[in-house]
Amino acid sequence: MKNVMKIMLTAALLASTATVAIADGARIAVIGGKSDDAFFAKIKKGIDDGALVAKAHGSSVSYLQLQTYDNIGGDAANLIRTAISQHASIIAAPDWVGDSEDEAYKAATAAGIPVLLYNAGGGDKAKELGAINYVGNEEYPAGLAGGAYFATHGSKNVICVNTVPGAGNLEARCKGVADGISKEGGKSTQLPLPASSFGNPTAVAEAIKATLLKDPKIDGVVTISAGDADSAANGIQQAGATAKVKLGTFDMNETNLDRIKDGTQLFAIDQQPWLQGFLAVTLSDGFVNYGLKTATPVILTGPGIVDSSNIDATLAGAKAGYR
Amino acid sequence: MTAPLLKLTNVNKSFGPVDVLHDISLQVNAGEVLCLLGDNGAGKSTLIKILSGVHKVTSGAVEMNGAPVLFGSPRDASDAGIATVHQFGGTFPLMSIGRSFFVGEEPTKGWGPFKRFDSQRANEVAVKAVRDLGITRIDDGDRLVGGLSGGERQALAIARAVHFGASVLILDEPTAALGVKEAAHVLRIVLQARQKGIAVIFITHNVIHALTVGDHFAVLIKGAKAADFRKGEKSREEITDLMAGGEHMAELEAEIASYMATHEGHPPAITG
Amino acid sequence: MSQTQSPSLGNLLRRPETGSFLGLVAVFVFFTIFGGGNFASPTGAASWLNVAASLGIVAIPIGLLMIAGELDISIGSMIPAGSVTVAIISGHFHAPILVGIGVALALGALVGFINGILVIRTAVPSFIVTLGTLFAVAGLTLGLCVILTGTTSVAIKAPPEAKFLLGQFIGGAFQVTIFWWIVAVAFWGFVLHYSPYGNWILAMGGDKVSARNAGIPTERMTVLLFMCSGMSAAFVGISQAILYNSAQVSAGQSYIFNAIISVVVGGVLLTGGYGSIFGIVLGTLTFAIVNQGIYYTGFDANWASLIIGILLLLAVLMNNTFRKLALSYSPAKGKASK
Repeated sequence: MKNVMKIMLTAALLASTATVAIADGARIAVIGGKSDDAFFAKIKKGIDDGALVAKAHGSSVSYLQLQTYDNIGGDAANLIRTAISQHASIIAAPDWVGDSEDEAYKAATAAGIPVLLYNAGGGDKAKELGAINYVGNEEYPAGLAGGAYFATHGSKNVICVNTVPGAGNLEARCKGVADGISKEGGKSTQLPLPASSFGNPTAVAEAIKATLLKDPKIDGVVTISAGDADSAANGIQQAGATAKVKLGTFDMNETNLDRIKDGTQLFAIDQQPWLQGFLAVTLSDGFVNYGLKTATPVILTGPGIVDSSNIDATLAGAKAGYR
Repeated sequence: MTAPLLKLTNVNKSFGPVDVLHDISLQVNAGEVLCLLGDNGAGKSTLIKILSGVHKVTSGAVEMNGAPVLFGSPRDASDAGIATVHQFGGTFPLMSIGRSFFVGEEPTKGWGPFKRFDSQRANEVAVKAVRDLGITRIDDGDRLVGGLSGGERQALAIARAVHFGASVLILDEPTAALGVKEAAHVLRIVLQARQKGIAVIFITHNVIHALTVGDHFAVLIKGAKAADFRKGEKSREEITDLMAGGEHMAELEAEIASYMATHEGHPPAITG
Repeated sequence: MSQTQSPSLGNLLRRPETGSFLGLVAVFVFFTIFGGGNFASPTGAASWLNVAASLGIVAIPIGLLMIAGELDISIGSMIPAGSVTVAIISGHFHAPILVGIGVALALGALVGFINGILVIRTAVPSFIVTLGTLFAVAGLTLGLCVILTGTTSVAIKAPPEAKFLLGQFIGGAFQVTIFWWIVAVAFWGFVLHYSPYGNWILAMGGDKVSARNAGIPTERMTVLLFMCSGMSAAFVGISQAILYNSAQVSAGQSYIFNAIISVVVGGVLLTGGYGSIFGIVLGTLTFAIVNQGIYYTGFDANWASLIIGILLLLAVLMNNTFRKLALSYSPAKGKASK
């Protein structure tokens, strides 16, 4: 027993000294979403591909993921602090809940660690926090575009289904839709579902069906994730409203794209998640190792509207796993 | 003659429409053992629960030392000096001997909100009390009660009752789950308690055990007292018959008695 | 003749807390090896101490209830209810922070009271009763939050005194909640192990009927314990809202299982009657180290769940063995084991 303890302690000491010696490139810490979140999996693919480049420069990428979305802001803030304690050379994190996370970003900067915002937060927030870049969508303009698109394609009463309420970027989407559609004379209200419904397709589908049955004047549904769009399609179908209710979504998956091709879904707003992950890592790597910095701090990867007019090219990329 | 320590007069107990005890009259004196015999369903447990304060009587009187008493809770009964040792439970297998001994009556040192459980004193007293009753295997009050044998746990419970000044000790089937040697030990402890002047009510199925310790016997059948006799008035076979076919025996005896009363003491002839 | 001996090595090895301690040491060493210097550094320790503190504050009353023979799963909704209450009252409606905190704590006490009364007045097991309150409180929280604020996430900017007491990161890394956890441990440790009430809790879990017959006010104790668990949950919710400046309506479900895991890994028997505050602390730390240490190793965070599951199974097996040993009759006097 004693000998085993001695060996384990020695191993621990060696391991701790060893890890200090290895990485001479950047230690890039990336905070991200759940591993079973289909949308974030595409960002992760971008991160992994970016990590190949980083590793070629002698850098290391550490991916710190949330385990649930119940307390998205607080947990992300905790992970940023964990990254600080790991002496990361740069921290790339989405700013989902500014109230909770901004303090953590500031703590990182105070500790001399540069930060990069991706996927959520927006250009203004990145500037306020002194981040080197914001890589992602501008959610509010994306919402505006979506709302306007609904109106010009015949839907004037749209519900915006939000399954991760509280996340700033997603709230901005729904607000954007509401404002965009009202400019064209329509209206949109939010249907917030508790975060525990996230990833529960039945719960989402049934909630949407019930809402449609209760209010027959609704003629459009927009969801904040591709998975939710699948549930919404099911919910609309159960309510017997496929002819009347048009479906649009933020982000997309192959099923969504197939429906756009078939004509049962109107559009998807694409923020090119793979690009977000890839750029977050490579820009971080370039900045720390070589002092490279883009002239425009805000790199918008969206919004782009995918509809029947550009569906074929998009499908090809989706089949390869990049869209 | 001094009043009996515990006396029940015409006690009835019903739970809603169900009558469980009819007209029970019993008494126990200090320094005596009353054996309560009876089959399952005879009402023994209900009687014990009334005496230990769990239930209240529907009608009838319960007196201690000549004065009527009414127990609102088990605490009242134990404060009045009635200690009950149940067949299963009553001790807490995962607690230490010291803690289990003093449940509800924890000794404390210190004052105000900082009163601390005095585990050292609890252990000392508990171990001494149980050793006084002849259990010499126990010397560490921190040991868990679960590590004691069935007989030792009974002894611990009895020692607890004696320690807290019980004047009446009710034992519910104490030897039922024990082997011969352990049972003998517990019976010896019962006699010790009797010697200390405690009135013991000993509930059992086992006629031999009852005869070993009992001064006074009562048989309960279907909620009523079917027989009440002192030691020596009935033999072991008679008592066993009484309990086994007790109901019929009691009816038969009553029939014979009433016949004899109207036929100048002649028993009925046996015909056919 | 001395009646009390100091615990022998054999006795020590047979207690569940020893197993919990060994488990804690094992995971700490494991993550030090694979997590390197960062894990073992003070700021690394802050990661898991922060998680342990919030979890620990609510795990202790859950553990006490388990020792007393009851389960409380309504904490999963009470924690976010506490957050949302203080955020709506003091954030959305700008009432003084003390009012918000007071109402949230009172709500915790009320829900606990309802739990306790239902458990003692009906024959329904506490697991089912608290399952009902879990859903009821969750629905109320979501419904009222949407009605009052229109959204399911409420921001709150606490005043500096409240931030200092409940929401600061000491040294930029350590949540002040850790301090409150230590206070809770000291308080409950005294209650369970030193005061007579602790003996009552152990007795209630060992044999409730006998405890009542021995004169212990089991019904009052049960209600009190449920109220303490409700208030502790509300407190954790309040401190989370003040720490992170916002409240979410569903930020608490994971606490249910995490608290039960911490408590069982810490040696509290699921069937009641045995447990210790020290053990609960060990179990909480073990969980927190695995939950956060995984981030220092570069392994996928899901492996953390696998490790937790294995630890839990081991703990249950060991506790079962302990229970069997404790309840068995051994003819020879306490054999010292190797």
